[in-house]
Amino acid sequence: MRRFLYFAIFLFAVSQTSAQLRNERCFVCHGVKNFGIVEHGKFKSLYVSKEDFEASVHSKFACVSCHVDVRVIPHLTKPQRIHCLQCHFEGNVVGAPVTAKPEKYKESVHAKALAKGKNAPDCKDCHTVHYVRKPEDPNSSVYKTRIPELCGRCHETVKEEYYNSIHWAGIQKGELSSAVCSDCHREHDILPPEDPRSSLNPKNVVGTCDKCHSDVKLMKRVGVPVQNPEAYKESFHGIALKFGVVRAANCASCHEYHSVLPSRDPRSPIHPANLAKTCGKCHPRANENVAKGKFHVLPGERESGIVYYVYTFFKWFTLIVLIGLFTHIVLDLIGHIRRKRKKE
Amino acid sequence: MMEPKKEAEKLIHEVEIEKGITLDDEFRERLKNEIAEKIKAEIERRKKEVEEKVEEEYFVRFSLNIRLQHLTLAIGVLLLIITGLPIKFHESKWAELFFEVIGGIQVSRILHRVGAGMLIFVSIWHTIYIAFTKEGRKEFRELLPRKKDFLDFWQNIKYMLGKTNERPKYGRYSYIEKFDYWAVYWGMVIMVLSGLILWFHNFFLGIFPKFVFDIAKEAHSDEAMLATLAIVIWHWYNAHFNPHVFPFNPTIFTGKISKERMIKEHPLEYEKIMREKLMKEEKSDEK
Repeated sequence: MRRFLYFAIFLFAVSQTSAQLRNERCFVCHGVKNFGIVEHGKFKSLYVSKEDFEASVHSKFACVSCHVDVRVIPHLTKPQRIHCLQCHFEGNVVGAPVTAKPEKYKESVHAKALAKGKNAPDCKDCHTVHYVRKPEDPNSSVYKTRIPELCGRCHETVKEEYYNSIHWAGIQKGELSSAVCSDCHREHDILPPEDPRSSLNPKNVVGTCDKCHSDVKLMKRVGVPVQNPEAYKESFHGIALKFGVVRAANCASCHEYHSVLPSRDPRSPIHPANLAKTCGKCHPRANENVAKGKFHVLPGERESGIVYYVYTFFKWFTLIVLIGLFTHIVLDLIGHIRRKRKKE
Repeated sequence: MMEPKKEAEKLIHEVEIEKGITLDDEFRERLKNEIAEKIKAEIERRKKEVEEKVEEEYFVRFSLNIRLQHLTLAIGVLLLIITGLPIKFHESKWAELFFEVIGGIQVSRILHRVGAGMLIFVSIWHTIYIAFTKEGRKEFRELLPRKKDFLDFWQNIKYMLGKTNERPKYGRYSYIEKFDYWAVYWGMVIMVLSGLILWFHNFFLGIFPKFVFDIAKEAHSDEAMLATLAIVIWHWYNAHFNPHVFPFNPTIFTGKISKERMIKEHPLEYEKIMREKLMKEEKSDEK
């Protein structure tokens, strides 16, 4: 066994030293742009951009490090399908980074659909095959600004909805903190909203939006009131939801989810002209009255208008009344004690 | 106690032995009956005296009607406070625990509406009581604030501070009791109105602008806090923790108040009752 292991390492080392040379040999064919075969009557490109491959995180590896069944070049048979977990597993010797992401992915809707034989993405569909780059790399397929396009390859209508939203407008303006698909749906553990662990479950929606919308610095930068989640949590909707009434409105019930728009936009469900319809989804008698007043009101804030004055009135009224009553009680007790002592 | 006739027989016999005489049978029988009659009258008189004494020691302060009104209000308010506070303090651990114990916020919501129903019911009941019953109208007049209440208040402050040894002489209701009574009016108006707006928000959404609901919610929450603190600190001090009544003043539940407390706490009312009683007796004597 040990001998075998040494042998494997030796083989690996040899392959490493001659990597460039070997890859050059592969690119003789696969580096030609219109190189391909006809499979099931369709042309299938077998082109691999040498330039892009060499910019990827796997650039220092030989093609045959992954395509292990290719021993002779040119190879005569079609190489076997390869999988990322060939290297990215706990205890691998090539130093491939191991994270919990594949495990998280296994729980996701995508993995489950795939297991049922449906057309769903696995690693390579998002991360690409030959051009895997770090997510921070602007040329990465999973770079923040490219995510909507990436997910939109399958989720086409959702993509169009999202492209109308203020979140996408933010990204286009260069505000990279603005939300893309993965910020709400997560990256690998994408779960259906019915799952209580899902970031989209009614009980978790507030927390999902809260991640960014209670960030004081960020909200100041993008000009969105930061107290909104806080005010929501104080509202009857927020309290009901917190204690398990899932039919109570959460953020997405009024703001929509893919096409979130500010209230100034006439397309927005929270535009004053659309509020009656939006509130009317749950409150059948809602009419234009619902637009008369502020939303996400924190009574202690001066901007809350009349509610602030009601709050202030009661604050002082309660304080004065209670000080009065308390003083009366203390005087009564002191008087009682004094007289009792005198008697004794 | 012996039979009056036997007692009379014994007395006559003793006298006969003492004087060494024997009375005529007919006279003896007559005398015996006369003495027995007197003894009977005396026993009756004493019995009556004892009964009157018991009657005098207690006064009926609150009618059953008032007691039931207070009981309904008290249970309603306690229910409202218990189910309302966890909503106001929803971020605390005990609120979570409360909802868990009670069976969820949905159960608590229903209980809150039961309490609200009791509160609204008692407010209608009381309005009818003070408007349409003789007793209610009389009680309401007694509860109206007067100049004397302010003087009593001043006198009581001086008394509590030890500047004078004379307690203010209260009538049927002291200024403290009147304050409690009128405070409930203020609280009822705020709580019932704002509560109804919140309860039937789906109905009122068609009528009121949105900010009315914000005001209703804020007022409901703040006035609830004020009322709760006033009840727990002020009302419970006066009815439970005050050294004069500790641990508990049962009058509002039994309706009875002792003569001693009556003289001490409501001297003017006591005087009035006694005066009326005397006048009644004089009238019946004249007849």
